[in-house]
Amino acid sequence: MGKQKKYWNSVQHLNNDPAFVASAEKEFAEYIPVDEFLSSETIQDASSSRRDFLKFLGFSVSAATLAACETPVVKSIPYVNKPHEINPGIANYYASTYYDGNDYASILVKNRDGRPIFIQGNDQSEYGAGVNARVNSSVLSLYNSNRLQKPLKAGKVSDWKTINDEVSQKLKNTVASGKKIMLLTRSIISPSTKALIEDLKSKYLNIANTVPGGELVHVPYDAISCSGLLRANQKSLGKRVVPNYRFDKAKTIVSFGADFLCGWLMSGQYAVQYGNVRKPELGAAMAKHYQFESRMSLTGSNADVRIPIKPSQTGKALVLLYNEIAKKASAPAMKSAQLKGFDAKIKQMANDLWSNKSKSLVVSGSNNESDQLIVNKINHLLGSYGTTIDLSTYSEIKQSDDVQIKNAIASMQSGSVGAVIVYGVDPVFNMPKASKFAEGFSKVPLKITLSERLDFTAKVSDYVCPTNHYLESWDDAEPQKGKLSIAQPVINPLYDSKSFQDILITWANLPLDYYSYIKKRWSNLGDTAFWKKSVHDGVASYSSNSGLSLQISDADLAGAGEKIFTQKSNGIELELYTKTAIADGMNADNPWLQELPDPISKVVWDNYITMNPEDMKKEGYGFQTNIQQEIPASMAKLSVGSDHITLPVFPSPGQTIGTVGIALGYGKAIVKEQVIGKNAAHFLTSNSDGDIQYYRTGVKIEPTGETYLMASSQTHNTIMDVDPKDPEVGRKIVNETTLEDFAKGKAHYNPDITLADAYGDQKTTKELDLWAEHPYDTFGHRWGMAIDLNTCFGCSACVTACHSENNVPVVGKDEVRRNRDMFWLRIDRYYSSDMNQDVAEEQGKGAVAMYAEMEHPSAYPQVVHQPLMCHHCNHAPCETVCPVAATTHSNEGLNQMTYNRCVGTRYCANNCPYKVRRFNWFQYDKYNKFTGVNPAQDDLARMVLNPDVTVRSRGVMEKCSMCVQRIQEGKLEAKKNAEPVKDGSIKTACQLACPTNAISFGDLNDKNSNVRAKFSDDRAYALLEEVGTQPNVKYLTKVRNLKESEA
Amino acid sequence: MKLYLFKNHFMRKLTRSFGLLFLVGLFTLSFNNTLVAQDGATLFKNNCANCHSPAAKRGTGPGLQGFWDRIPGGDEEGKNAWLINWVKNSAAVINGGKDAYINKLYAEYNNYPMQAQPHLSNDEVLAIKDYLISYVPPVADDSAAGAKKNPFIKEEKSFFTPTIQWLLGLSLLFLILAVVLRNIKNTLQDSVDEKEGLIREKRAFPKNLFHWMGTHKLQAGLIILLIKIILLTKLYYWTLGIGVYQGYQPEQPIKFSHAIHAGENGISCVYCHHSAEKGKHAGIPSVNVCMNCHKGISEGTWTGTKEISKIYEAAGYNPETGRYDQPEKPIEWVKIHNLPDLAYFNHSQHVVVGGIECQTCHGPVEEMHELYQHSELTMGWCINCHRETDVKMEGNGYYNKMLSELKAKHKGVEVFKVEDIGGLECSKCHY
Repeated sequence: MGKQKKYWNSVQHLNNDPAFVASAEKEFAEYIPVDEFLSSETIQDASSSRRDFLKFLGFSVSAATLAACETPVVKSIPYVNKPHEINPGIANYYASTYYDGNDYASILVKNRDGRPIFIQGNDQSEYGAGVNARVNSSVLSLYNSNRLQKPLKAGKVSDWKTINDEVSQKLKNTVASGKKIMLLTRSIISPSTKALIEDLKSKYLNIANTVPGGELVHVPYDAISCSGLLRANQKSLGKRVVPNYRFDKAKTIVSFGADFLCGWLMSGQYAVQYGNVRKPELGAAMAKHYQFESRMSLTGSNADVRIPIKPSQTGKALVLLYNEIAKKASAPAMKSAQLKGFDAKIKQMANDLWSNKSKSLVVSGSNNESDQLIVNKINHLLGSYGTTIDLSTYSEIKQSDDVQIKNAIASMQSGSVGAVIVYGVDPVFNMPKASKFAEGFSKVPLKITLSERLDFTAKVSDYVCPTNHYLESWDDAEPQKGKLSIAQPVINPLYDSKSFQDILITWANLPLDYYSYIKKRWSNLGDTAFWKKSVHDGVASYSSNSGLSLQISDADLAGAGEKIFTQKSNGIELELYTKTAIADGMNADNPWLQELPDPISKVVWDNYITMNPEDMKKEGYGFQTNIQQEIPASMAKLSVGSDHITLPVFPSPGQTIGTVGIALGYGKAIVKEQVIGKNAAHFLTSNSDGDIQYYRTGVKIEPTGETYLMASSQTHNTIMDVDPKDPEVGRKIVNETTLEDFAKGKAHYNPDITLADAYGDQKTTKELDLWAEHPYDTFGHRWGMAIDLNTCFGCSACVTACHSENNVPVVGKDEVRRNRDMFWLRIDRYYSSDMNQDVAEEQGKGAVAMYAEMEHPSAYPQVVHQPLMCHHCNHAPCETVCPVAATTHSNEGLNQMTYNRCVGTRYCANNCPYKVRRFNWFQYDKYNKFTGVNPAQDDLARMVLNPDVTVRSRGVMEKCSMCVQRIQEGKLEAKKNAEPVKDGSIKTACQLACPTNAISFGDLNDKNSNVRAKFSDDRAYALLEEVGTQPNVKYLTKVRNLKESEA
Repeated sequence: MKLYLFKNHFMRKLTRSFGLLFLVGLFTLSFNNTLVAQDGATLFKNNCANCHSPAAKRGTGPGLQGFWDRIPGGDEEGKNAWLINWVKNSAAVINGGKDAYINKLYAEYNNYPMQAQPHLSNDEVLAIKDYLISYVPPVADDSAAGAKKNPFIKEEKSFFTPTIQWLLGLSLLFLILAVVLRNIKNTLQDSVDEKEGLIREKRAFPKNLFHWMGTHKLQAGLIILLIKIILLTKLYYWTLGIGVYQGYQPEQPIKFSHAIHAGENGISCVYCHHSAEKGKHAGIPSVNVCMNCHKGISEGTWTGTKEISKIYEAAGYNPETGRYDQPEKPIEWVKIHNLPDLAYFNHSQHVVVGGIECQTCHGPVEEMHELYQHSELTMGWCINCHRETDVKMEGNGYYNKMLSELKAKHKGVEVFKVEDIGGLECSKCHY
């Protein structure tokens, strides 16, 4: 049975490394840098005697006494004219839109006293109310002091007037002399900006008059390109667009390397849809998910069946799948190649797809046109078009055409481009080296960058103009045809910046400002009331015809097949991917994102080479697989031809053996004069169609012999399951089952936990209780939370939302490495090993052999993500050990943490079975070690702090409060309205961020509450129930869509 | 339980007697109303004074001294008719645009129309007229002003000003230093003398004192113990006062008097501090709230135009032209009631849900010319109130379920304290 599966939370854990076992027994790192401090040279040289010390002591005591006598003068400055809707201390919510070239989200911005402090999803949006970590962290980027504060001319601070005068004249001269102005931007999904660009084109065409070649050309550029997919769709659907994938209508989902839960196209929307069909309550209708991929992606970690593959084999696997399905559909077969070990799995998958015809969906993350053509053909044969691929609307979220960009660079080289205006992208940073962008760019006489920061491209530009953060300006967006949303400013520009559109309007001397542009365009859709409603709701829609038509020809397919056979596998392969937090690196200087552990590796503040631990141990490598606080990772030099990079190697079970992975987007952010990670963009190449390829073959890896300390948030935080050899110690930490077993009922997959009492009778934990019941069981509220492990896929949006809501300090790499991270909410990722009691029985293995086997790392494990925060235990072990009653139990079932009473003994953390308490070691907002790391040190970034939550000081324990400030606010609102608290009216920050509603929160004493229903669900179980803590947080068993035989 | 019963009985009695008092008051008031209605001065104050001054001073509208000679209409009867028409139908007159006199005034006052007063009877309009004609501006009388003391002029400070206190402290320090030094000098001298073989007489004080202490150990010990106890007690009480700013009364940028606004004029607290009913902060009113009244009232009781002109300056208002055409300059008030950052306090919880009077915490604000911190604002003070105050549960839908649960649990008890529903818990105020 699934529940007997063994879990381990890191390779070290699995190996049961003695050093790991030793460290697991301790809650806190032994090492406290006292010696370092005392042995500091400056201290030894210092000549302060005992007498001096007493003098200082006396002086500081008297100074402190005197200071304490003085009444601090606090000024209070009211408005002169108070805006009607603003009341001090009361938050206002404004609907807006996030789009940065990668992610689209309709959002609500929480504004307190004029400052945006929290971003949540817009529940009016049909794409769901969750927002991912990048979106909810973007509020911190607003207050980033790295942002450009003034326009620059030739690297020196200038002013807008000079720049506007000079640039607009130069632009006119450029077109008048028959040269092109190239507008290189991120993909534009704003209909008003599109209209503006059209106006700019005709304006400059007019200026050029009859001079040939004088024009403005717009080149959209995506840092992560989908050019191959778009070109395939041009052929198959008639437009270079992304059709409307409907994961929520699929019964069988097959993905070839598409990380559709994290970053692939409209991943925010897909995540919501995927969550809807992954509920075991659907029974046989629960979707089954197959994933082919080379590195362990977030999407892959959630797949029911995960098939490791090399990137170069994707095309061939697709052909095999096509042929299987073609056989069933009696369509012509393609020439296929042998792919060892895949046949059986592909056959099974084809059967599954075919039996769910028109309820199945195949997607691929490949940027090969030929791969995508085959995918389209497979979907066509499966009848997906019109069902799981909706053709009534489409998205233009990605627009870049790699061939067009190649040509653009060529025209820069040739000198036909007189001016380049770059906006929202950093091509010098992330274009492949082979494309020689920097070289072409330097040949352009007028180089202008419109950017929020002084990025790589801005540094080599003649003029750099600061653009607004998206929360500072008006904009609109059309993420899918017919579905609109509005971005409204929620704060005045903090610096001397302007919106990208307004800058261009000024230069071209157009009559309307951008706000009028938007209003004018929207006036075509409806009257003023419609406009007002749209601004209020943030979203609107209009009926439109997508104009997509299926035109899949077999001729295209034959050509595609030929191209696939030219893709050769060669030695070790490298996959270049983007991480959940950093993505393409545009917001790499956001400390919340840097400190967000990667959902799989749990590493923070670094990029690295991911490698299967099996590979790492191979001869010639000998890389350190047991990376810990003081055990560094091995460095390796990775080279392909003349391109090379030196990075630490990190073990990643699930990575296809013979492949490695490196995350893009690093090598950009600088903290304390140190560049975070290394840029790997120079490994990117193009295929024969000109599309950028995110993998390389023929990779050489050599250990350099150097070592590198890495910080990962999960080599500690073990949950007692430290000795796999002792069955008595094994506990139900992650409860998991298969769909087949789930159907058999609770007793099969989630039996009640019973313990033997003194007489040997089995009793439930409640019967064996030592403590008296709390009074709130029959009175008032009792707050509780349920987390569905089936719909939680570890995206970590809740972690950054918690940072944002609760002023959780960012502590930096060094402190995370020392196990002093401050996450109030963390997500534990567990790998499972394939050995379990059933297998052992089959193979006739005894207990000793079985547990020994369990220690062996399985190359391709299953993964579980488990969010963990304070469990607010009814019988909390932490409360009984606090010597000063700083942590007590509330009337409403909350475990309260009172910072002003805490003296920092840390007994509570030692006694917490869930290891969710965090000790505040430093004054993160003052100590110079955290300058540039902790945003609260910056006067501006401090504005993001939530004024309803105390900023904790050094020396206190802190932990999840279940957003008690929100609970109190919700209760007060109910009291003022003289009505009971409505279920769902109080939401915690993590719950708001969750795209799949995996987190439910509410009043357990409310008989009709959602959370109460979840608590009494058959799948519900309490973590470590046998300990008797009676937590107010419960998990719902994870159900994999597998048969017992597959599990 | 007994306590609750007693309280209810007592309260019922109290309510009954208050009800009687209220009825009597109502009768008296209604008689007063009919008597005052004919009085032109009162009518003027109630209906016109917001915009007009009875003297020559310009407000939102023109000052009315000498208006009788200015208005058109010819003879007295004509003027009366014109006046009644204008006061009751001002909009029609303005819109008609035929009255040259009104056209001129309308333009002079930034096209700001006079509010029509159709509810006034003809007699009432004429009563106001009579009052205005007979109005004599009060002559500034020094002796009368002296009788009403300006509360903002502080009394002569006591002799022990901080400077004097510092000087006294320092001289005490020097005195001790001198004694100690003298002692050291004497000891040194003694040892020198001893070495040189000189015999000197025993010194008097303080050598004698030490000698006495040496011979009377018990008495000396007791005295020292007593001194220690006194000093430690003082220290204890002094430390209790750290961070407690009861009585804190900083000087404000404008000499604003709560006694005049809330006391004399009876303006409700939440007219200005309106967010006390909405959220966490009671809020200091924005300048536009001040201007609601002070556009018309430009002179203060004691300070003349000096203090009120500071409001105009802040609002960017020019009283000469009646336009907001000056730069705005926010007023920097000094906050009096400061809670530490670690404590969360919400006004609306106490004012709206708890139904607590502002005065319960802020003291007799309506009597304070210059505001000061009335309460301790310490945690003990909060807790005490939470222990003693009944929760207003009846009639509030939020509490219905809770109340029935509580009643079922504590049979016979009808009213519950804040403490009983978790009002003393840490996370109610600290998070």
